[in-house]
Amino acid sequence: MAIHERSLVEPERILRKERLVVDGVDVSGDWNLIILPRVIDDYDLDFAKEIINSPDGKTITQCYQCSYCTASCPVHNYWDERYNPRHFIYLARLGLIDELQKRADVMWRCVSCHKCTHRCPKGVLVEEVLKVILRTMAKKGLIDEYPSKKFDKFFTESVLEYGRIEDGELLFGWIEKQGYKVFKDPILRKPIPFIGETPEWLKQLTMKPLKSMNISFLVLNAKHMLFHPRTKNWNKFKHVLRKVMQEEGALN
Amino acid sequence: MARNVLVIGGGPAGLAAARALGRLGVSTILLEKDGQLGGNPIKNHYHTLIPRKLKPSQVIGPYIREVEQNPNVKVLLNTELTACEGEPGEYRVTLSNGEKHEVGAIVVATGFEHFDPRRKGELGYGLYPDVITNLELERMFSQEGRLYRPSNGQLPKRVAFVFCVGSRDRQLGVTNVHCCRYGCALSGLQGSEIREHYPDVDVFCYYMDVRTYGTWEYPFYWAPQEKYGVRYVRGRIAEITYSPADGRLRVKHEDTIVQRPAEVPMDLVVLVLGMEPSPGTKKVAKILGLAQDPDSQFLVPSDESGSNIVSNKPGIFIAGACKGPIDIESSFSEGEACAAEAAAFIGAKVAV
Repeated sequence: MAIHERSLVEPERILRKERLVVDGVDVSGDWNLIILPRVIDDYDLDFAKEIINSPDGKTITQCYQCSYCTASCPVHNYWDERYNPRHFIYLARLGLIDELQKRADVMWRCVSCHKCTHRCPKGVLVEEVLKVILRTMAKKGLIDEYPSKKFDKFFTESVLEYGRIEDGELLFGWIEKQGYKVFKDPILRKPIPFIGETPEWLKQLTMKPLKSMNISFLVLNAKHMLFHPRTKNWNKFKHVLRKVMQEEGALN
Repeated sequence: MARNVLVIGGGPAGLAAARALGRLGVSTILLEKDGQLGGNPIKNHYHTLIPRKLKPSQVIGPYIREVEQNPNVKVLLNTELTACEGEPGEYRVTLSNGEKHEVGAIVVATGFEHFDPRRKGELGYGLYPDVITNLELERMFSQEGRLYRPSNGQLPKRVAFVFCVGSRDRQLGVTNVHCCRYGCALSGLQGSEIREHYPDVDVFCYYMDVRTYGTWEYPFYWAPQEKYGVRYVRGRIAEITYSPADGRLRVKHEDTIVQRPAEVPMDLVVLVLGMEPSPGTKKVAKILGLAQDPDSQFLVPSDESGSNIVSNKPGIFIAGACKGPIDIESSFSEGEACAAEAAAFIGAKVAV
């Protein structure tokens, strides 16, 4: 079935039937080719109100769409023109959520350089406002969480578990979480960095500091790697801390 | 040379001219075609005047009282100018009540009229009761003191302001290509008033540009957004329709920032009307032979003079909205400037 305005149909919607016969009639070909209306039929003002009413989002009302922020934005200028803070503000203020979601893949790309906030002639705290928009969207399940948040969670879990940071544990644990096979010794089940399927770049990354380390520090590091040190009485404390953090919503 | 002055029009500009002339001790005749003084603000029951947010009675009341009490000013209501002949300094005028006078100078302050939105049929004025004009909204505030949908008398959840109805529109002919100057500011003010008294009502302004020039920027554009939460949406409303399913209106437009068509439900739609020269302005221009703008038909000042109150005819001065859209406080000052010029023209020995 030929259609002339292919550009009006999103490719992922098309159902391709190589061989489809209904009641003896061959209806093979592309299906689901209805052109969906583009009309905005309403605003989601509850979404907009949630942003306006949050303490760090209230300056969103001051924007008059001059685009000083976008013109200053390094992400817009050098990375992806679809990252447009001025436009996100307009969409959020009217609650045009489907338009925001179309840009979900670029919306997390702010590098927090704060040029927008410093230059805004209307005093909009652009960087903060955009974070509020993202936070509100994530809370309502309208956008996936930023990938770096996953590391933040892993990091928090690691600190909560041991009461301190252990670089090797963190690094190899994270590498393993990413799907790499890390070789472990059979007794303590600790990762051994130089054998197995450890990626070459990681081997080099671990070798570099080792070459310049003095011997006692090297031994200390190896000891910590095998027998992870814990903060004293941490087990008692971590239950309390975890409970408080859960109550405050800080673990989400 | 005759020693008296004729002022045509009893609105803000005419009242200001007549009051100043009366104070200067110049014998003045004030013509008003309606049965009351005050012009459009009084006749149409404006609620609050921009830019100083005063009531018309507060602002125009003192002028009316002084003009009526000053023995130098003769007020003729329900009277129009029908003919004029003679030379500058000795104009012989005939009035509709049969009187004839010889006057030394004339101040023309014949004003404007509001655009009739029935000429924009696609906006549904007169068809749907919930499509009203900003004049009717002013009257709602000033006469009834509450906001409601005319169709059912209930409070609307959403109000839309449609900018530039009868302004900046070549579709209506060359007569309506000018900007009305007051519409953006008044809508900002009306939107703020609605939000102040009814915080649950969402207000939307559909604009192409927001022209709150000069010092009006903060009080009539920034404050409505920042202080009162009025929303500005870019796009000119092309059509207003009605949905029997939910009894609400739909404003049809393209959101030019999102670049998508939109048909958004609204409960009350307010048309922001443009300004046109009043029939009196056009008539007086013909009788006195005053220069008019070929497009809008508003009066235009003399090419030789840098002042915008000096007409192309010596001894005839023009003030206020007969020259184009203008705010009320500027109308007052132009009327007063005309009074000084007219007094100087007839060589009046003023009582200072």
